[in-house]
Amino acid sequence: MGRFDTLNTAWMVWDNPAPAPEGAVLEYTRELEKFLAEVERRAFRMAQVALRDPDDALDVVQDAMIKLTRSYASRPSAEWRPLFYRILENGIRDLQRRRTVRKRVMTWLPGPKEDPDHEAQDPLENVADAAPAIPDRLMQAQAMQQLEQSLRALPGRQREAFMLRNFEGMDVAETAKTMGCSEGSVKTHYSRAVHALRAQLGEVW
Amino acid sequence: MNEQDDNAFEMRSRALFQDSVEGLDMRIRSRLTQARSVALEGAASRRPWLFGWKMWTPAAGVTAAAILGVALMVGSPFGHHPATMTDAQSNFEDLDLLASSDEGSADAMEMLQDDIDFYDFADKAANPGPAA
Repeated sequence: MGRFDTLNTAWMVWDNPAPAPEGAVLEYTRELEKFLAEVERRAFRMAQVALRDPDDALDVVQDAMIKLTRSYASRPSAEWRPLFYRILENGIRDLQRRRTVRKRVMTWLPGPKEDPDHEAQDPLENVADAAPAIPDRLMQAQAMQQLEQSLRALPGRQREAFMLRNFEGMDVAETAKTMGCSEGSVKTHYSRAVHALRAQLGEVW
Repeated sequence: MNEQDDNAFEMRSRALFQDSVEGLDMRIRSRLTQARSVALEGAASRRPWLFGWKMWTPAAGVTAAAILGVALMVGSPFGHHPATMTDAQSNFEDLDLLASSDEGSADAMEMLQDDIDFYDFADKAANPGPAA
């Protein structure tokens, strides 16, 4: 047993561990805060692209933060980013699955159909814009909206690969680690995503 | 669609995304800051989990099977003492208690994780690696 003569001794040490040096805890808490502050806005936008609803996006980001800090805070800080985004993507996928189930249930229920995803189109969105000159800012916002719609239409793995590589700036190896697949798969998903997006958005986008 | 066009598309989409991140409103920014504070509160006070609990699900299955085996042995007529109806009932109640935890119950998984963390900790103490 090395340091411990019996398993009981080991249990006693485990149950009453020496407190971690305050400085060390403070140090990694500070590092974690820095890491989370750096990724939280991009993570939120990526979750929002996938889920559309900002409150749902906030929920999955908060869950990912809590899971990371509770379960993986002591891991080397270089591992935080792939871990965080993997947790986030799992949260997104869980929520999407729950929505699909809810949608199926809703179609079986009598009464007026509620759109659980708030996917219904606002009729005003389809009204032609009379203003001839659109300010740059608005054009950018529209372009981003088109990109988001196209991203939502992609298969989940392609969307994930595109957002991690392009939006989060991960290299192929880190993306593969985050997605839990080979580097070859990442390249394939990413390339397909780029071609599908370009085909959807057209040359003028 | 050539590679140059792909690169231009990638750069444009990255720039648009970055703009949308920078343009997040104050309500969202403030809620993200709150979420971060909540997450960090728990960071210092908890023992680190070695891995996610899903990784240990197969081990949990083996443990449950072992518990079931022991329970059946103790409750069987081939045990050290003749099993009474009350003993057998009690064993099944214990099993029922073990099995009745909700799948994914945080408490049950946390208890399991504590044990696993402990065995890892004891193993590392018994076989200390080279100092980093």
